[in-house]
Amino acid sequence: MLLENLRLYRFLLLAQLRSALQYRLSFGLDVLSTSLVTVTEFAAFVLVFSRFEGLGGWTLVEIMFLYGLVEFTFGLTDMVFDGFDSPTFSQHIRKGTLDQFLLRPVNLMIQIFGSSLSFRRIGRVLFGASIFAYALLHNPQVWQLEKMLYLPLVIFGMALYFGALFLIGASITIFTVDSTDAMNLLTYGGKDMMSYPMSIYTDWLRVMFTFLFPVALVNYYPALFFLEKPDPFGFPSFMPFLAPLAGIAMFLLALRFWKFGLIRYQGVGS
Amino acid sequence: MTVAMRLFWEITKRALARHLTYRVATITGLITNLFFGVLRASVLLALLGNSNSANGWNAQDIVTYVALTQALMMVVSIFGWSELMNTVYRGEIAAELLRPTSLYTFWLAQDVGRGLTALLTRGISIMLVCWLFFAIRVPNNFWQWLAVLLSLGLAMCLSFAFRFIVNLAAFWSPDAKGIARFAFIVLGFASGFLMPLRFFPDWLQQILALTPFPHMMNSTIEIYIGSNKTLELLALQLFWAIVLTLIAQLILARATKRLVILGG
Repeated sequence: MLLENLRLYRFLLLAQLRSALQYRLSFGLDVLSTSLVTVTEFAAFVLVFSRFEGLGGWTLVEIMFLYGLVEFTFGLTDMVFDGFDSPTFSQHIRKGTLDQFLLRPVNLMIQIFGSSLSFRRIGRVLFGASIFAYALLHNPQVWQLEKMLYLPLVIFGMALYFGALFLIGASITIFTVDSTDAMNLLTYGGKDMMSYPMSIYTDWLRVMFTFLFPVALVNYYPALFFLEKPDPFGFPSFMPFLAPLAGIAMFLLALRFWKFGLIRYQGVGS
Repeated sequence: MTVAMRLFWEITKRALARHLTYRVATITGLITNLFFGVLRASVLLALLGNSNSANGWNAQDIVTYVALTQALMMVVSIFGWSELMNTVYRGEIAAELLRPTSLYTFWLAQDVGRGLTALLTRGISIMLVCWLFFAIRVPNNFWQWLAVLLSLGLAMCLSFAFRFIVNLAAFWSPDAKGIARFAFIVLGFASGFLMPLRFFPDWLQQILALTPFPHMMNSTIEIYIGSNKTLELLALQLFWAIVLTLIAQLILARATKRLVILGG
């Protein structure tokens, strides 16, 4: 069953890719402009950074570790979860395509995953990967076996965290029909937030985004471990290792909410 | 009041009423906007660290800068505007060109209405909240307020002229959306929205000073925070507003000449 689903997903993705590549020039420009947004944001930061001595005790290459890892992982998740992104998902509800999906004898989530994948975000993913690669090369302390073994788990945890947010956004859309701006605060806001060390934020914000939403757990704390930086808040030494757990917990919670929403789905009559 | 001004005001008033209808969106938008403002201010303040000031700005100036960018980004449409190109692609442009007002004036009036709504709802509420909770700087004399308002008006006209020119690409290219995306990335960077221009390296500041972009946002912020070059900045804004408006008219004239409407 799982194998069958994966085969179907691959099939749907190839169809998406074929359609994206119909207008090559237009697609190429789309990829370029999408990645340019990220490139200019990062460039503006680096240009300004050169005027200052550091950011809350972090050097530029240390911040690039945070920044690159988030940019890469968020870009990837955003690309894969495009079908659940609330503007896209809102269209599924409005046009009644969600009703069609529900009637088919195929796994619903596979259909939504396969319904759209924003290939144009690939540039952003690659740019994030290059920032991260640069950071890895310039922070020699990260080159240890146990750290390299843990890295994929951190990426996995962060991807699940962002994926959970997209899933929650889609579930809210079931009730509101219209896409909700407010979720941007958690997705894009959370992404922006974890691109920098959590120590720069005011206390209530940091506490809220450590324990209520585990933003700090999926990037900042693992980064402290990788870069061998002390925790300025003196939390237990297992904090850096909660990233995969936090991701899984968020995703399971999101799945429950998704099921809760689907049971109440009534359609809009289109 | 002349008939033309009367007409301009009537269009502006209707655009205002149209945009004021979406109240819930305005409130959630306000919260999101403030949240992003707090994040951006945190980064800049952390960069400042323990120093008292950087390039003439202290912590209060930095927070004021962030509040102003968050308050003004919708007023000058920093993220983009594609209404005009949509009318070209949908063919509605044919009906628009039949109006007795010039296309430019008609859309400018609409945009002033949209901008004023953004200013009165988002803009002022953001500034008020920031003033209450973050003690931002407030101009303390009549002349400075006058200069700020003048500068803001010029920034709106200037940014509109730029957006209008970008939208005119739709007359030539079927993919003006892509062109616009590039144009607005440049705008966000060069207007001082992403980061304060005065924190950029000197060589970059000198290059940007030769372009109209800083006058679409940065100049207004400089005047608000307090600049000894207020008159010079206002003059430059006026100069660029006139230049870009003329360019827009020129391109519009060429665009309408080559326009072919295919039935419908």
